[in-house]
Amino acid sequence: MLESFRGGKVARWFKGRSMWLLHFCTGCGAIELPPSMTSRYDLERFGIIPMASPRQADVLLITGYLSVKTLKRVITTYEQMLDPKYVIGFGSCTINGGMYWDSYATINKLDYYLPVDVYISGCMPAPDAIFAAFLELREKIEKGEANGYKLYKIHYERYKANQDKVFKNRGIIEGED
Amino acid sequence: MVEGVVELIKGNFSDVEIVIPEHQEKRVHISVEKEKVKEIAKFLKDNGFRHLSFITCVDWIDEGKFELVYGLYSYEEKIVVLIKTKIDRDNPKQETLLPLWDQAQTYEREIHEMFGVYFDGNPGLTPFILEDWEGIPPMRKDFDSRKYSQITYDSEAK
Repeated sequence: MLESFRGGKVARWFKGRSMWLLHFCTGCGAIELPPSMTSRYDLERFGIIPMASPRQADVLLITGYLSVKTLKRVITTYEQMLDPKYVIGFGSCTINGGMYWDSYATINKLDYYLPVDVYISGCMPAPDAIFAAFLELREKIEKGEANGYKLYKIHYERYKANQDKVFKNRGIIEGED
Repeated sequence: MVEGVVELIKGNFSDVEIVIPEHQEKRVHISVEKEKVKEIAKFLKDNGFRHLSFITCVDWIDEGKFELVYGLYSYEEKIVVLIKTKIDRDNPKQETLLPLWDQAQTYEREIHEMFGVYFDGNPGLTPFILEDWEGIPPMRKDFDSRKYSQITYDSEAK
């Protein structure tokens, strides 16, 4: 009974209406979040609120460019989140590197390293675009199509190989507090 | 006011080249030998230029030189003095300014990481911003950022 509820249509309807956003900001896209969250646009109308802990969050919003150093932390964070979890790539930097496409420090394509469910194009995307992305994500969740976290498990070897290509020393994170 | 500073430097040091750039009245550029940087910096510090604004580095790859630029500021005169010195690109070494200003540490560490310049007498030239960086320092002109990006980030692992 419980199993069928978890994967069922009703559960998906609820999931799509309480997407909790991990408060993890990278790059310049973070500047679009305060107007989206505060009273003018008010993300909470859609059941989206920022969460401080990855254990309680459903959505990881990558707001802009990622340096290799940040990517390492993002992946650690992503792996700490509980299923079901979704990733939104925000801005052109996550799609093809954007204006940092030839930088030695930033990655170009986010989906080599993490499964991305929805992309928002543009530099910068305005709050409207964030809403469009969240509504698309909600639609995908309701249809059962937002399966990035499952793909991450299935293709774990491939993602790991891509990550290892840019991380020379993975263990350095563990030495920190 | 700038004239006063120029006089002051000229009166105490003989072989320095002093330029006052056009349209920038509150600036004095002085070019010196690398051995004299510390001496002049100390002299200027004692004469009101107490604030070390920045140290930066320019890669003149065709000349085979790195140019170190030290920015000093005087709160009383509101003048910026830039001390410029060129050092050998193949063996980039320069005396540290740590004994004069503690904040030189940040700049020297960064220049060491980004350009590979060694500062003699600075004990803390450890990795700073870059993490597990291998290969030549990335701000050098002969580092091809685009090629590095294409090789590292544009293709999936095989």
